[in-house]
Amino acid sequence: MKELSFAQNFSMIALNAQDSLHLTNAKKVSLRCMAGATILELYLDNGFTREGDILTFKRENLEFPSITMYQETVLKALIGKIETISETLPDYLTKVTKLSKKILKEVEHSFAVSLLGANALEEIPALIGCDLEYVTADISMKEYRSNPELYIRLTESLRAEILEDGPMTDETILMLWLLRESGCLYDLFSREELKRVAARIYELLDNSSLAKRILPINIHKSFETAVKNFLKIKKEVMSTPSGSGINFIFPVIERSQSIFIDTEEFFSKKEDRLRDVKARLESKGHVFTVIREGEVPLIKIDNVLYEAVPSAKQYRIPVHGVRLRKYPLSL
Amino acid sequence: MSRQRSMEKILASEFVSIGELVRLSGCRYSTLKFYTEEGMLPFKQEQENLTRRFPREEALLKIKEVQDLKKQGLSIPEIKERLVKK
Repeated sequence: MKELSFAQNFSMIALNAQDSLHLTNAKKVSLRCMAGATILELYLDNGFTREGDILTFKRENLEFPSITMYQETVLKALIGKIETISETLPDYLTKVTKLSKKILKEVEHSFAVSLLGANALEEIPALIGCDLEYVTADISMKEYRSNPELYIRLTESLRAEILEDGPMTDETILMLWLLRESGCLYDLFSREELKRVAARIYELLDNSSLAKRILPINIHKSFETAVKNFLKIKKEVMSTPSGSGINFIFPVIERSQSIFIDTEEFFSKKEDRLRDVKARLESKGHVFTVIREGEVPLIKIDNVLYEAVPSAKQYRIPVHGVRLRKYPLSL
Repeated sequence: MSRQRSMEKILASEFVSIGELVRLSGCRYSTLKFYTEEGMLPFKQEQENLTRRFPREEALLKIKEVQDLKKQGLSIPEIKERLVKK
């Protein structure tokens, strides 16, 4: 398999588990940082003409065969209508905060195409898409999932280089900055490990000239990062045994884990309920196995265990069906 | 500037860092760190910056051996004992 580039590697981390069809707040944060990663990749590979601290890029350079589709998308957005752009590296990086939603969607598309082509990313149906309200509203829900083997190799080697003593490579320093700005640092390191990461950042600020230039730059928007972190904490809390119980009673707290699947009949039998659940999961393209049948069947959906508990929803006319509840063993 | 080594260069070198060993073996960092601290993986430690360097081929063989023994159902103390006896 061909080795992925620096920006593609970061995108694999940033896009993993993100909604692939809608531009959510969390995805906007990731996409801006992916544009930043593209600039850093060009910087590392000497794609800019350097004169002291000033980096220059000419429109004609977009024709170079080494320029990839995602690099072209980001660079075209930065250059705009002018022929030559000359800025310092921090100025280039802060420009990504001003990219419009339209450009961000183009950045996502160009990265997704390159990663899907390299088998590093896939689009999978999100379970919430099976929910009665999503089905009747005809809302399709899909998520990105990074290739698990590549993802582990990448994130674990980063963790090793950041947490171990010794010098860090330029790629890791820049990746550390991107992870911090995109809020992905919390996905890769535990609370205890984050203390060590902070100590390593202080070490880098003393010893590395690249780190001194890059680490003080901020491209994140506090509001979006706060929203992303809040949603992550909420999901984590609702994934604990007590949290999943609370969420079962108050589904509105975490909708992605409160899937209600309606059955054809009122007071349907256990066999009919299971048949309807299987039909819905099949129609939305999920991989599932029925582990246990009975009143409350246990179903493994996309490698996570769920219990299908008989339930009803109160609309103008009550609707009978089942609500999926994460099985404690899979928490 | 110190750049990350390409996979081609890593595969051609005698010694690798723990991060590179993770990339080669696909094992988790914490797993390899544990194996190292338990004395199951050979390494050399440079005096100056205390960076551990692992002999690539030997370390990868050891990791495979440990994983095979784990699949056979042996516990870590039993695996360590087996490795010491060799």
